[in-house]
Formats: sequence, structure tokens, C-alpha cells
Amino acid sequence: MTRSLFLCIFRIMLKEYKTLVPYLKKYLIYYIAGIFCLVITDAGLLYIPQFIKKAINSVSVGAFELSLIGRYMIQMVMLAILISIGRFFWRFFIHGASRRIETELREKIFYHLLDMSSAFYGEHKTGDIMARMTNDMKAIRMASGMAFVAFIDGLFMALAILVILFTSYSRLTLITIIPLPFITIIVLFAGKMLGKRFKRVQEAYSAISERVQESFSGISVIKTFTQEEHFLNEFGRDNDEYWAANMSLIRIWGFIFPVVSFLSGITVCLLLLYGGSQLMMNQLNPGNFVAVMSYLAMLIWPMLGAGFTVNLIQRGGASLKRINQILEVEPEISNGESPRDVPIFKELTVNSLNYTFHGSGDSVINDLTLTLRAGETLGILGKTGSGKTTFIRLLPRILESEEGQIHYNGIPLHSLELSSLRSSIAMVPQETILFSRSIRENILYSKEDASEEELARVVHISTLDRDLKNFPDGMETQVGERGVSLSGGQKQRIAFARALLADPELLILDDALSAVDTKTEEFILKELVKLRKGKTNIIISHRVSTLQVSNKILVLRKGSIGQYGSHKELSRQDGLYKRIFDLQSMEQEEQS
Amino acid sequence: MKKEKSTVENKYNHKVISRLFKMAAPYRIWFIVAGISLIFASGAELTLPILLQRTIDRNIMTEWSWIDESLMEEELWSETVSENEHFVLGSKVYLRTVDIPLKKDSEINRLREKDTLSSEAWYVFQSNKAELSLILETGIQMEVSEDNTTGALLLSDLKKVDQELYKQIRSSDFSGLRRNTILYFILLTVILLFSFVQIYSMSWTSQGVMKDLRLKMLSHIMNQSLRYLGETPVGTLVSRITSDVETINEFFTSVTISILKDLAIMIGVLIALWVLNPMLAAITIITIPPVLIATVVFRNMARNAYRSQRHWIGKVNGFISEHITGIEVIQIFGQEKRAREEFHHNNRSLLDASLSEMYVFAIFRPLVDLFRSISMGVVIYWGAGMFGRGILTLGVLIAFIDLIQKFYRPVMDMSEKFTIMQSAMAGGERIFQILDEDHSIVDSGKDPLPENISGSLEFRDVHFAYKNDDYVLKNLSFKAKAGDNIAIVGYTGAGKTTVASLATRLWDIQSGQILLDQKNIKDYPLQSLRQTIQSVQQDVFLFAGTVAENIALGSDIPMEQIRKAAEQVQADPFIQRMENGYNSLIHERGSNLSAGQRQLLSFARVLAHNPEVLILDEATASIDSETEKLVQNAMDKILKGRTSLVIAHRISTIQKADKILVLSQGELVEQGTHEELIARKDLYYKLYKLQYESKSA
Repeated sequence: MTRSLFLCIFRIMLKEYKTLVPYLKKYLIYYIAGIFCLVITDAGLLYIPQFIKKAINSVSVGAFELSLIGRYMIQMVMLAILISIGRFFWRFFIHGASRRIETELREKIFYHLLDMSSAFYGEHKTGDIMARMTNDMKAIRMASGMAFVAFIDGLFMALAILVILFTSYSRLTLITIIPLPFITIIVLFAGKMLGKRFKRVQEAYSAISERVQESFSGISVIKTFTQEEHFLNEFGRDNDEYWAANMSLIRIWGFIFPVVSFLSGITVCLLLLYGGSQLMMNQLNPGNFVAVMSYLAMLIWPMLGAGFTVNLIQRGGASLKRINQILEVEPEISNGESPRDVPIFKELTVNSLNYTFHGSGDSVINDLTLTLRAGETLGILGKTGSGKTTFIRLLPRILESEEGQIHYNGIPLHSLELSSLRSSIAMVPQETILFSRSIRENILYSKEDASEEELARVVHISTLDRDLKNFPDGMETQVGERGVSLSGGQKQRIAFARALLADPELLILDDALSAVDTKTEEFILKELVKLRKGKTNIIISHRVSTLQVSNKILVLRKGSIGQYGSHKELSRQDGLYKRIFDLQSMEQEEQS
Repeated sequence: MKKEKSTVENKYNHKVISRLFKMAAPYRIWFIVAGISLIFASGAELTLPILLQRTIDRNIMTEWSWIDESLMEEELWSETVSENEHFVLGSKVYLRTVDIPLKKDSEINRLREKDTLSSEAWYVFQSNKAELSLILETGIQMEVSEDNTTGALLLSDLKKVDQELYKQIRSSDFSGLRRNTILYFILLTVILLFSFVQIYSMSWTSQGVMKDLRLKMLSHIMNQSLRYLGETPVGTLVSRITSDVETINEFFTSVTISILKDLAIMIGVLIALWVLNPMLAAITIITIPPVLIATVVFRNMARNAYRSQRHWIGKVNGFISEHITGIEVIQIFGQEKRAREEFHHNNRSLLDASLSEMYVFAIFRPLVDLFRSISMGVVIYWGAGMFGRGILTLGVLIAFIDLIQKFYRPVMDMSEKFTIMQSAMAGGERIFQILDEDHSIVDSGKDPLPENISGSLEFRDVHFAYKNDDYVLKNLSFKAKAGDNIAIVGYTGAGKTTVASLATRLWDIQSGQILLDQKNIKDYPLQSLRQTIQSVQQDVFLFAGTVAENIALGSDIPMEQIRKAAEQVQADPFIQRMENGYNSLIHERGSNLSAGQRQLLSFARVLAHNPEVLILDEATASIDSETEKLVQNAMDKILKGRTSLVIAHRISTIQKADKILVLSQGELVEQGTHEELIARKDLYYKLYKLQYESKSA
């Protein structure tokens, strides 16, 4: 049983703990110093009962020197001081190491996450990643700190105490320690059951949080349809399940510590019976009786610890597995070998471009060929699902195309240095994401060292200056949770200003002004064209009016070119563009 | 200043505690069970060392002393003798040394000098004549009672008899030992059972209170007005119901019961010490103040360290979560390096905070342990002295060592518990703050809606502001006859969307009246009002669940009606294309649907509920032009015979309206049909021209 147990632990350790090896090596000196202090502390602890034994034995013999007892006690207190110092330092070293490892590992994962592509984030929900970064990191810290201490401490203490007890009082020890292995066994078994129940509690808790989160986010819908009752009932079910999960956990959890105290009480009970008889038969000194009692009490922790160590290491292994799952994902998009610097933009050529999302058979982009020259503005129109967003995401390598299908100034996209490629191609995505900082910091996010003039210019072009006047803190207004709630149009224009400030070679607007009214949009686009003379733009929009500022318009149909040409050409050609244009003209005719 | 704050804190704490206990009222039986179990378990736990002491002193290490008969005249002695086991042999009364009521050396010595108290240790036992003579044969001096049933011999002589005989003499002690061991075992079982009952019933109470609190809070918060809900971040509300309620668990299980238990044990230990030996107890108590001082000092340190650590954990986790959500922005602008640097800074601050927290505990725990060793050293030293003078027995000394260990165990995590209590109190305070604030829309309406409601709607001198005096709508009056189709146009920020929210009483107006079928909407029950007037909102929200569930939204709507609604808004084709049709799951926030598809679903949702009055707030803004055209065609049928308000950017979609309202900065500036307004050549005309020109340019 023990053999297989150790093998099992060892297997987990080999497989999952390899991630920790470099850190363990780095803090080896901490661990060594920690173990040293721990062993000193333990040795001191083991010697304390000896003083009590000596004192009581000298007392019970009858005639004794009180000063001798005094000397024993002073020695005991001195030793206790040494133990306290030892205790502080093993905590200092081992907990210090495990906290540092946790910190560095968290850093490593976060840095890794920064390099992950959107395919990765499509598979992993934010909540899931956060759970790994919090709960799992905690389990790993426990495994690299507490489990380690419990293991060394338990092993050393248990062996030493057993040696001391068996050499002096073999029969008495043999009888009194009978209940102790059961502590380990119970903790081990309970650990297994606890794991399952603990998971159930966690899941029920997530369900509750998600339900509440959803109810509040969609509160206006709930109110409009007067479905408060319905949502309360749904929540009530989740709430009951969470309650039931907690109670089932407590049925085991609540039993462990009483059982452990019970079993350790049994050892005293056995000691009383057998040790007491030996005392009466003068086969044992009273001091030794007390010493055995103290040693038995000291054995309880290692027995508990043995069980916990296994649990902690198992749990740590499971958590490391979940962390490794993240770390093992190679960044899909990264610099190739010896990446080239990105030159001034002259021309972008797309040559029979194809793209298919992971796990879906349908290709989103089909054999698309296109050239975009510096100083041009390209408009893109297409039905929902025609591949507009996918196409433009392939350009700054937010999505990854096959090598050689896109060239920048004739250079394959993959051989350009990634971060400079991205700083020469900026994009305003469909969905606006701002950080919970001030408006100023959000706009400056793309270019930290922008001058006040540059900042004022983009604020003006995005017509934010009008809105800022109404905010009490102006540019310093906080965005997000604790700040004022910005309207969709305001958020879009902040994101637009942010991209504009970066002044990229190629600016891509992905339906970026959909929440802005026509008049304002018209102003913004006019100013944009003026400001970005000689620079290149791509504009995606549903509105024909928006697309009219482009030199060329691309109509995407199922991922390939449906139509391509200037507004004039396309409005005369049969096809989607003309249909939509006519649709809107028809509306105008109806109006006039 | 600081002190003042803490007293305020304390006052509030009392309130929080008493309210928490009120919440526990439905579970009082469980609470009482927990309390009773606690008393039994702690009582039994404290009995253990005393039982051990009695076994050692009265059975294992038992020794007797005699006093002279003459002392029996004194009340002290006659009482002691009658209360305890004793034997009278001749003129001597034998008592266990433990029971001798003298605690001062001088008194003992005085009696010994007068030869009225034995100066040696004796052993007294009950036996029979045969056995007694057997002992006498060995030549050991022994006093024997007249009826030959009791013998007394010097303890030093007892060790001289052979083993068989020794066992016979001490047989009553051996059986006493066995009896006490069994008693010890029973006590352990009692502790086991009652501890479990206590833990379980306390959890039943706390889990029950938490369950009730969560439900109460959700229902309370859901009933609040959008004014309040809009001002409070969703994340805050969620954590009130989840993590703050979780701290209440700590309040009941870790704090209430465990502090009670710790106090019970500590006080119990002090009482037990006092009962065993008042003088040694007094000496023990002298060694306690340093620990108390250390605990108080440490309590503050621990609290600060804990707070700082919590602060940085929140920062780091918030940072991670925000940057995961915004990963695209970071990558688009190539700001990975900056994100790394900022994260590094936060992460290191967290490390510093957790290390200081660790140091605080790394100092405190060993310190308490040191104090325990000092206490023990002092007690053993004094105890040994007292033992030497014959005023303390070995059993009592051993019991003291055991009890001191028991006393210091709770001290170890007392400070931790105070910290937990503090956070539980803070959590409770936040919870009750939410429950105390009531910003709900008063549902005072008693008049039921008429069966066949006509659906006429009127705004009469309506003034409305989201905040203070910033009026979004000023003096707005208009009338919609039953079945009318009213359109509202105007620039962004003109107050169009607000009109929709006011009609359904998502917000209450400051002054004026809104009438449905000539009756103030405040006079109708909120629920039936909102079932009569429904709107397709600009912001689409989809819930996790199937497509059909999102359309029905908890109402009992047959599948056919759901499908019909979806067909009307042209959503049926894409729903059919989804893997499981109407039973396809919608991801978190509808991320597997396009913006246009989400809007169509939200549209279908309203149609499925078939309201008498329909409000469309930019209901087709994200839908591509071709689909929109199809929806527009269906719209004529949908709107027929139904009162409707249509809010739109695009004038093309609303020109057939019975009446068009033009809003500007919260005021109604024009109204009339399309033709009338065009003829006026004012604001509507300008809006119209603007759109017309941009399309033909």
C-alpha cells in the first residue's frame, strides 16, 4: 500500500512538477537553510520532554534539590528560545521560497498569456483562466511550502520519536501507538472524498456567481419582461444546490478533526491503562510516564501531516497540470528566426489567401487576391459572416495566415518583426475594450509619449472634446466599474482616438463608428482623411455613406471578392453593392 | 481620532451581530443544539486531565496519611474525613494524602511535631484475614483493623512484598485503573459525538442563514430601480451576494462558535487549575499577561498585514482579468512590454505584502509557544517545590502540565480569528447596507388593467432627469391613440431612448403624468403594466441557455409561438442553421452570434410576448440592409392594430408613421406626419436632408 502510494506520488511529481524544477533549483539554498532550521527546531522539541521527565523523576524519588529543578527549567526555557528562533527561520526560508516561487510562476504565466493568440482565448474563458491563476496557484504554493514542511517535519519527527520511544519503552510504545496510523489512513481516505465534495462546492459556487452576474447584467431585460420571479426561482435552485454541496462537504470535513482528537485521546487512554499498570508495578518512573505522554502528543501532528502531505501534493499536482496546460500551448503567432525590421509601408499584397478556423470545416476566406498601395483607403462591405473581420485580423497577425499568402512591401508577413508590424498596422475592433483607468490613460495607451498637441488633435477629431466638457473630471474621468458609465458612442470614439494617436502606417476601422450618429461620423471621417493624407486606411462599414470616402471598395462574398472597384463603378455594376445602394436610394426616393 | 473610529466600528459591529442572530432565528433549534453540544464537548475535554490526575493520585500513585483521633473534634477534620474515603485503625484515622486539607507547610509541620499527623507515607487496603496473616508472616510491620478487614503498612514496606502478593494488595487500585480507563474512553466518545453534532448543527445554521441571505439580497436588489442599479457596478453587487455572504459563514463557524469554545476552554482550564490547587493556579495566571499583551499587539499587526495582502491580491487579480479581456488591445498596439512591467510591479508588491503577513505569523506563533514553555517551566519549578513540602501531589502536577498545554492552544490562533471576525463584520456591514437601502420603484398600483386594453398612450408635461437637475426630458407632451404608430427622431442624446424607459416605469418621472388608457401608469400594478408595454432595447442582452429559452425568457410560451416570432423577424433561417436549431446553446453573452443575430433574437423575444404596446428602440441598427428590408416588410403586419413607438436614426424607416416627434435636447420641437414636417423646412427637414445628401454624394 505504502509502496504503491509513493510510486503514485512519484509519478505525479515527475510528470507535473517538472515546471517547478527551475524554481526549486533557484531557491535550493532557501530550502536547505529551511530544512536545517526545521531539523534544529524538531530536535529541540524532542528534547523538551526530557527536562520534564528529569524534573518529575527527581521529584518523585523524594529527596531532591529544588535548585536542580530550577536549573532544568532554565535549560528548558533556553531551549524553547532556540526552538522559537528556529521556528521563525524555517518559516522565513521555506514559506519565503514558496511565496517567491508562486510570484515568479504567476509572472511567467502572465507573460505567456500576453503572447497567446485569439484562438487560445476562444478556447479558454476568462473565468477559467482566472480560476487557474488564483485557486490553482494557491494549491501550488501549498504544495511547494506547507506540503514540503509537513513532509520533512513529519518524517523526521515521526522517526525520531519512534526511535526514542521504542528504545526506552518498546512494549508500552507498541501498544499505545496503535491508533496513530489510523489518523493517517483516515486523512488519506477523507482527502479523496473531500476532493470530490470540494469540487462540487466550487462548481455550485461558480453557478451561483454566474447566475447573479447574469441577472444583474441583464436586469433591464428581466424587468421589462417582469421575469424577476422566474430568475429568483432559478437562483433558488442553484442556491439550494450550493447549500447541499456545502453540507455534504461538512459531513466529512466536520468529522476529521473530532476523529483525530478521538484517536489521539485513545493513545492517552492506552497509556493510562498499560503505563499506569507499569507505574504501579514499579516498572516505569512517573517522569517517564509524563515523557511518553508528551512524545505521543507530538506524534499526532506527523501522522496528520503524512495524510495532508499526500493530499497537498496530489492537489498541487492536479493544479500544476492545469497550469502546464496553459504553459504548454506554444504561442501560435510569434517571431520567426531573425525577423526583419518593418520598412515604411508601400504596398500590401494578398495572394490567394485562405483561412479556416480551428475545428470548423467551412473556410472563411477563399482564394482572396488583392493589392493595397500606400495612401489608399479601402472600403469593405459584406453581409454578416462574409469574412470582413477575419480578413483584416490576418493583416496585423492577430489571426495567422498561411505563410506566403500576404506580403508587406513584397516581404512575407511572417518574416517581419511582430511587434513593429503591429505598431505599423493599428486596428479599431468592432467590440470596444477600454481599461479601468482615466480617459487620458486609455487614449495614451497606444503611444505613451504623445505630446499634448497630438493628444488634443485626436480628441478633437474624435469629437470627444464635446463630451469631456460634461464630465466633471474631464480627461481624468475614470472609465469602467467605478467611473461614470460611458455611452457606446463615447467608448467607440475613445477607442478610435487611441488608434489614431498611434499614427500607424495602416489604420483599420472595423465597423468602429456604428454607435455614432451620421452627422458626427461624417465629421470624423472628413477629418480622418485630411489628417491621414499619404497614409493608408481600411474601413469596414454597413453604411454606404461611410464607404464613399474610400478610393476602392471591396465587396466580400463568402470570403472571396464579390466586387471590387470605386463607388462609381460599383454603383453601376449589378451586385450586392448596387442592391444596397439602391435600397438606400429607394428609401430616399420614398422620402422625397 | 483613531479611537473614535474604532468605537463607531464597535457600535456597528454590535448591530451587525444582533442582526445576524436575528437572521438565524429560524434555525434557533440547531443553534441551541450546537450550544449544548459545545458545553458538553468542552466540559468533557476539561474533565480528561482531571480524570487523569485522579487516576494517578488515587489509584496509581496512591498514598495515605493518618491523623490522630483527637483532631476529629475540629470541624475541618471531621468534615474532611466524612467526605472522603477513610479507615479507622485504633486511634488513627487514615486518609489519602491528597485529601489532607492543609496547604501550608507550617501547619503540617506543627501537627507532625505534635505527632497528630503521620510524617511517613502509608498504604491502606481492604483485605481478608488469610491475606493479612500472609503479609504478617513476611515480617513486615502492619497495622490491622479489629475485624481483620483492613490493613495499613508503610509505603516503603509495600515495595518489599513479592509480586503476587503486591498485586493482591493493590487489586482495588488495579480495578480502579481499569474503571477510570473505561471512563476516559467514554469521555472521549462523548467529545467525539458532541463535537461532530456541534460542527454539523452550527454549519446547518450558518449555511441556512447564508442561503436565506443570498435569496433575500437577490430579490431585494432585483427590485431596485435602474437608477440605483445603473450607479452600482455589477461586479460590486455580485460580490455582495457571493463573497460577502461567504464571510458570514466564517462569522458563525469560525468566529461565534470557535471563539466561544476557545473562551470556554481557557476559562475552564483556569477553573480546573483553581480547583486542583489555588496557589499553583495563581502562579500560572501570573505567567499569562505577557501572552495577552502579545496577542493584542499582534492583533493589530495581523489586521494591517492581512488588509494590505487582500488589497494587493485584488489588484493583481483585477489586473490579470482586465488584461485577459483586453488582450487584443495590448497586442494590436504592441504594448506587451508595458503590460509586463506593470504586472511585475503589482506582483512584487503582492509578494512584499504576503511576505510581511507571513513574518507577522512567523514571529507570533513561535512567541506564544515560547510563553507556553516559560509558563510550564515556572509551574514545574514551583510545583516541585510544593511537592517537596508535601502540599502537592504528582497527579496534580501532571494535570497542570496537561492543562497549560490546553490553555495555550486557542491563544495560538486567537489573533487569526479576530482578523477573520473583522472581515466577517465588514462583510456583514456591507450586506446590511445594501438591504437597508431601498431605491425600488414603488409598486403601489392597485387598479387592474382592463381586459381589453385599447393601448392609447399619453405623455403629459413630463419632466425627467437621471441625475439631480440635469433634465433629459423637459415638458414633454404627446398623445398616441390606440393603434397609432408614433416615431421619435433626433440627434444622439436628444432623450429618445429615455421615452421608452419611462413608459415601462423602468424609471419614474419627476413631474407630469404618463397615461395608459387615460389612467396614470402608476395606478396599475407594475407587473401588468410591463406586460402590456414592452420594448426592444438598443442594448441586447442574451442569457446563457438555449435560443428558445432566450425568446420565451421564463414565460410559458408554446414552441409554435416562439417559432412564429422568430420567423416574423427573419431570425428563423439562421436559427435553423444552428446545430440544434431552437435548442442550440447560446454562449456567455451570446458570443457565438453576430451582433445582428443577437438583435433579431431580442426582437423575436418581444414579439413572442405579444404586448399591446410595442416600443422599438433602434431595433434594427446592427442588422445588414438586406435583412433589415425584410424585417421592415414584416413590420407592417406586426404593427397593425398595435400602439407603437419607433425610435430611429434613419428617417427612411419611419416615414409611414402616423405621427413623428422630433426631439432636441429633451424638448419636443416638432411633430406631425412626414409630409407636414418636410413642408415646415425646420429641424426634421435638416435631418432628412443630411441623410439624403450623404447617400447621394
